[in-house]
Amino acid sequence: MTKHAGWWYGGVIALLVLTSLIALMAGTTWLGLPQVTWAVSHPASRAFVTIFSLRLPRILSSLICGGSLAVAGALFQAVFRNPIADPSILGISSAADFFKLGGAILLPWLPGRNWLMALVGGLIALTILTSGRALTDPYRLIIVGVALDATFVGLQQLLSSGAAAVSHSTFNGLTWSDTATLLGLGVLGLVVALILAPWANYLKLTDSALKNVGVPVNVLRWTLLLLGMYLAVSVTAVVGTIPFVGIVIPNVARRLVGHDYQTVLPFSMLAGAWLMLAADTLGRTVIVPSEISAATMMAVIGGPFVIILLQRGRGFHGMSTR
Amino acid sequence: MECQHVSYQYPRQTRGLSDLTGVFPPGQVTTIIGPNGAGKSTLLQLLARRLPAQAGQVVLNEQPLDQLTTKQLAQQVAMVTQHHQLYDELTVREVVATGRLPYHGLLQAVPANEVTPYLEMAGLTSLADELIQDLSGGQQQRAWLAAALAQEPAVLLLDEPTTYLDVHYQQQLMTQLRQLAARGLTVIQVLHDINQAFRVSDWLWLLQDGQLVASGTPDDLRDAALLGRTFATPIEIVTVPHLGPYIVQLPD
Repeated sequence: MTKHAGWWYGGVIALLVLTSLIALMAGTTWLGLPQVTWAVSHPASRAFVTIFSLRLPRILSSLICGGSLAVAGALFQAVFRNPIADPSILGISSAADFFKLGGAILLPWLPGRNWLMALVGGLIALTILTSGRALTDPYRLIIVGVALDATFVGLQQLLSSGAAAVSHSTFNGLTWSDTATLLGLGVLGLVVALILAPWANYLKLTDSALKNVGVPVNVLRWTLLLLGMYLAVSVTAVVGTIPFVGIVIPNVARRLVGHDYQTVLPFSMLAGAWLMLAADTLGRTVIVPSEISAATMMAVIGGPFVIILLQRGRGFHGMSTR
Repeated sequence: MECQHVSYQYPRQTRGLSDLTGVFPPGQVTTIIGPNGAGKSTLLQLLARRLPAQAGQVVLNEQPLDQLTTKQLAQQVAMVTQHHQLYDELTVREVVATGRLPYHGLLQAVPANEVTPYLEMAGLTSLADELIQDLSGGQQQRAWLAAALAQEPAVLLLDEPTTYLDVHYQQQLMTQLRQLAARGLTVIQVLHDINQAFRVSDWLWLLQDGQLVASGTPDDLRDAALLGRTFATPIEIVTVPHLGPYIVQLPD
């Protein structure tokens, strides 16, 4: 933990509160603080419906999704020992999206279909990703991941040319039931991630060094990978693929609060939640009454960030020190 | 620790070890010497169970190494390698704490009071919260050695521990290893510098082409003909004032 970590934590929490308030007030119709407080006690009013049926589920959803995606990225980076590893760039999310769509067409009767199918897709992509030599070679990992991502995006387009429902990766139109699903899945995964944070630290050592001290490397690796995958596909199942949150946030977090995952993970969770909410709120207010989807907002912010990170920073070989 | 008819063959290579039998006396410093490709590092890997013996077995306190669980093994055998790679930042304290992992569950934190004694022993207390990446080569080596000692092993394996050290630190490390052996630790190391090996060791293993040519005390093995044959180069043993016998390689 760096000396200023406490300040950064305070800062991000303040931003979260402030942005949440703004997100409650902003929208097609601007509701000031007095109107918001008035609406709370008038359940029959239009303002109440706007706040509780439209804005609040959307705010909570984007918060939990941002936190989940940021933590999923941090976990992938720890396991793959690669600063730009992330479920969205490695094809996990697009595989989940493709299977979700396939499920909608082939198994429309299946209960919990979206999440189950997304999980299957994530598992398959993860298996392909880790079956070859990608685990030991950072270049191969990213290239295989990008190819996997392109393949599943292509497959999805192939499948969707006939289907009406295509995922647009937006928080628009989310219901309380969607929000409850996201919260349930996300909170569970995030709690487990915080408990397992020390394992991400162990993976800074080489496999042979870990075996030397009796640590079952593969148990650690797979637990954290599956957890990261679970967090990412849970978001995909309900909302869709949102790129770059998992790359941008953990890398900023390391710079601000240090490299200890017991600090990086909680900070990423908070900062990811804030970024997602800020991006979504901005996306739905800048061109009222139309809106820009969260995925588009993140692509516009995240793409340049990754380019800068790789061109100026430590790159693929990144985290290795000698 | 001892080897009983241990063999190991690398796949698709002629290199390997064949039928090694011999002991590493407990509480002594044993150095494995031999020409390049003799199998010194391979042997060390087998002693650490990083490679499996394909025939025969490595035995520690009358117990075959492969009967131990990973955790039990880590409580008995520690290894310090030549290069220490890290994928991300760790402080000296965190590195040394990894040595205590064999004694704790995966979800338990290592208590600070288990780490401090080893930091003190290595003279690293004031550097405990620095990143290990920021330390000098000698200090880094000390930190990794402290981590290995924190495992409280019966056997300490070192692969060319002096490679990145200057003469001063080499001397310091060898003195420390002798002190540890005097307290009962079995030290087994690979060294390139044959004179250093003869000077600091209680016992020597001489390897050539994957076979144990000879083992014994430095006095037993200080034989110009034997060493000349093994290293395939003419060797003479001279006596240097204040230093004693010194092995020199003669020009052809």
